[in-house]
Formats: sequence, C-alpha cells, structure tokens
Amino acid sequence: MRMSELPPAQIPLHETADVVTARRAARELCEQLGFGKADQTRLATAVSELTRNVIQYANHGECVIENRSTATHRCIWVQVRDQGAGIANLEQALTDGYSTSGGLGAGLPGTRRLVDQFHIESTPQGTCITIVLTKPL
Amino acid sequence: MSTTAFQQVLHEQRSALLTAWINHVAALGDQHGSHEHALDALLRSLFDDILGILERQPTATLTLEHEESLTLALRQLVGEQARHGSSASTCVNVVLTLKHLVSAQLVTAAEVTLAEMSWLEQVFEQLTLLTVTAFVAIRERQITQQSLSLLELSTPVLRLWHRILLLPLVGVIDTVRARQITESLLEAIARYEARVTILDLTGVPVLDTSVAQHLMKTIDAARLLGTRVVMTGISPEGAQTLTKLGIRFADVISRATLRAGIAEALLLVGQQIAPLEGKRG
Amino acid sequence: MKIPILRLERILLVSIQVDLTDNDAMQFQSDLVEQVAEIEALGVAIDITALDVVDSYMARVINDTASMVRLLGAESVICGVQPFVALTLVEMGRDLLGADCAFNLGQGLEILRTRIATRGDTRLSEDENV
Repeated sequence: MRMSELPPAQIPLHETADVVTARRAARELCEQLGFGKADQTRLATAVSELTRNVIQYANHGECVIENRSTATHRCIWVQVRDQGAGIANLEQALTDGYSTSGGLGAGLPGTRRLVDQFHIESTPQGTCITIVLTKPL
Repeated sequence: MSTTAFQQVLHEQRSALLTAWINHVAALGDQHGSHEHALDALLRSLFDDILGILERQPTATLTLEHEESLTLALRQLVGEQARHGSSASTCVNVVLTLKHLVSAQLVTAAEVTLAEMSWLEQVFEQLTLLTVTAFVAIRERQITQQSLSLLELSTPVLRLWHRILLLPLVGVIDTVRARQITESLLEAIARYEARVTILDLTGVPVLDTSVAQHLMKTIDAARLLGTRVVMTGISPEGAQTLTKLGIRFADVISRATLRAGIAEALLLVGQQIAPLEGKRG
Repeated sequence: MKIPILRLERILLVSIQVDLTDNDAMQFQSDLVEQVAEIEALGVAIDITALDVVDSYMARVINDTASMVRLLGAESVICGVQPFVALTLVEMGRDLLGADCAFNLGQGLEILRTRIATRGDTRLSEDENV
C-alpha cells in the first residue's frame, strides 16, 4: 500500500472525548507512516493540546489529519480550527508560562516545540493552527 | 373643649383595654412567671403613654422619637422580648394587638370620624416603626458583642507539650481574626521557643483564597522564627480548593487528623508517648 | 469511566489503564482524594505505565492530585512514566510533572513504605495497639 493513499481524517470537536479521538487518530497515522515512538508521542501530545484549546475556548471546531508524504519525505499535516473569538494577544499566548485558564501555560509554546512546523492564524472570527511533522525517508 | 366620641371611648374603656392587652400579650409570648410582674409594669406605662398620644388633637406630622417616656418604655419592652428570644414579628404583634383592641372598641361604641380613625392608624404606624427600629438596634448590639467575644475566644494558642504549640482554628477566618491569630501565635512561639506548631483546621468550614493567604503568611512568619509547622484536619474539599487555587504549602507537613499531627510533632522534638513501666502487655 | 482504586492496608494503588478524557481525569481526581480522606491513607501510588500521552492538562491533574494527597497527610508517588512521555513532557516545558516518580509500581511501593516508616503517625498506631 502506498502511503499517500491513506485518506485524510476529519474529526469534529464538540466534547472532551473528541480530544481523545483526535490524538489517537494522529498517533495511528504516525505509526502507519513509520514514525518512531518518540514522534508518535510528540504529535499525539501536540494534537491533544490544540484540540483541548478548541473545546475549552471555542466549544466547537474540527481537526483534520492528513498524510502529505512525498517521494523523499514522510509528512503528517494537522490542522485544528474553530470559529471562536480568537486569541486576543498571540504573542502572549505563545509565551512560556502564560495562561488564561489557570493551567501551566505550557500549551501553545510547548506544542510549538514538539513539531517541525507550527503556523497560527487567529482573528476574532476564529483560530486556525497548522502543525507539520516531517522526516526524510 | 368638648370631648369627642373617640376620646370618650378611650376614657371609659381604659381599664378594660389595659387588662385585655396584658392578657393578650401574656398569651403571645408564653412568658415565665418570674418576669410577669416586670412586664406588666412596662406594659402599663407604655399603655398610658400610647393612650395619652391617642387622646391628643390629631396633627399631620407625628414623630414619636421626641416622646421620651414612650420611647424608653418601648425600648425596654423590646429588649425584654429580644432577650427571651422573641422574633421581631412577636414584638410588633404586641403593639398591633393594642391597636386591634382599641379599634374593636371604637367600632362597637359610637360614631367615630374618619379623621380619628386615620389618627389611630398614624399613631400605630409610627409605633410599629419604632418597635422594629428598636429591635434591629438591639440585635445589632448583640451581634457586635458576640463577634467581639468570639474574637477573644477563638484564638487560644495551647501549649501541647514542651516546645509544641497547638493552634486550633475554629470558624470563619477573616482578615481581622487572621491578623490576631498570627500575632498571638508568633508571640507564643517566641515565648515558649516552640520547635513545632500544629495548626488544626478541622473546625474551619471554608478554605478559600483569602483564608489560604492568611494561613500562608502565618506559616511563613512562624518558619522565620524557627518552628516547623504541621497542618492537620484539612477536608478533601479543602485540599481540592487549595490546590486548584494554585496554593502550595511548601515545607509544611500535613496530616489527616490532629492525632497523626501530634505524633508527627512528638517525633520532631524527639519525644514519645509510651506506656508506663511494667504496664506493657 | 471509573478507575478502580485498590487498597493495600493504608496505601492506595491506582493504575490508569485507559486514555482518559478530561472529565474522566477530574472524576478520578476527586474519587481518589475522597478515598484518601476516608481511610486516612498513608500513601498513594499512581501507576501511569499505560498512558502513552500525557499532555499539559493531564500533567496538571497528576500534579494537583499529588499535592491534594499531600495536604491530606499521605505520601504520593507516580509510577511508570513512559520514556517517550517523559521526553515529550520535558520538551514541552520543564517541571511539568513535579511529583515524585518511580520506575514501576513495585519501586513506587518501596519508596512509599520507606517514607511511611519514618513518619510519626506510624509509631502512634503501634502505641495504640499495645
């Protein structure tokens, strides 16, 4: 089976159980593509952080997990998006130790360190975060 | 000056009204025999004052605060009632009973003018107001006295053992109490050179941010003096609240019960509670 | 989803065997705390060998549970953090998991027993049993 044939997974996010579904799907795809245990854990943890943010701050959203492997690289592309009120101060939200929820403030900055690419767009109409994990074949 | 029908009724039925009122009031309050005499005298004097006002020429504005004898008697009566645990409504009922008795007499007796009836209303409205005000004032004084005595009562620092102090905290801890607790504790620690201080929280119903912050200050200050702090008796709800508020008591030993806390304190000072010689086994 | 809490004299053992949702995690926390208070537990061992994802939320739940347990007068130890979970946690941020850790449940129990043995209240129950 060629890797690129794996269909993208689209997981609606409505309740805390969906966080578990999303991070499992991410880990599974990771494993199928031949990423190591460490990368599997990193991606699953990153997806868990981002999807929880959606449930916590925007109530609803979705998580898309796609295999974007090429001839030379294995690659997982994940996008987590919502139509919530957006992040007021992006710079602050990406700072270590900053938290609006009484958490440890490791959510976004921590997630950024776990993946190879991290892209965030946030407007008052919603937030869209894309993370990518790649590895040469 | 001619006497109106109103004044005539009041005059003729005076003693009947007074007896009826005293009987009604006795039925209201289930008074104990020993106080009846004092109460009767009070009611008599109050009755005279009230009738005195009723017999006057009606005026548009009436303020009873200037009626010194009446005000004094009413305050005494309310105070007496409050002391026996009567409610505000019982006190008001005492006054309203007289009103009902008087108006019943007026209706049956003779033609009474509308102006006179509204005078009756006006007088008793003012009396009711005065009663309620007096009752609230007495209650407020009681509360102030109680919280003062609570303040004194609630901060005993106990010498549990040589160099072990016990501070049992009971009730709600507000800023004033917290400050007092801290002061008396620090004083005691210094005086007895305590090595261990047990803070027992079994009797503290709510642990919130402000209580926790007061506790932390007390603990920090105690530590600076060189004593170890052992906390005991935190409820599972209390533990969850403190943790979720992000409060960490570093370097504090915490034990489920005062019992366990005492054992820990004894260990810290190298003491032990042991059976008497020869009684073992 | 209820996580069974096992009792071994006055030590409580919990093994988290499934991927917990946030609500499950909160439920677990309050169940455990209630149980600790009820039996006046001396120690608690939480085994997370089966957890392959511990994100910042779960780390906080574990830390909080450990401090609550400590406030209630019991020792606590986290057992069996997976190597990749540990790596991920460290990459995310330092000190995310502040509680004491042991390699596995067996070692965790050993640590608990050693610590409990040096406590004052253990002597108390000996005295009371005389």
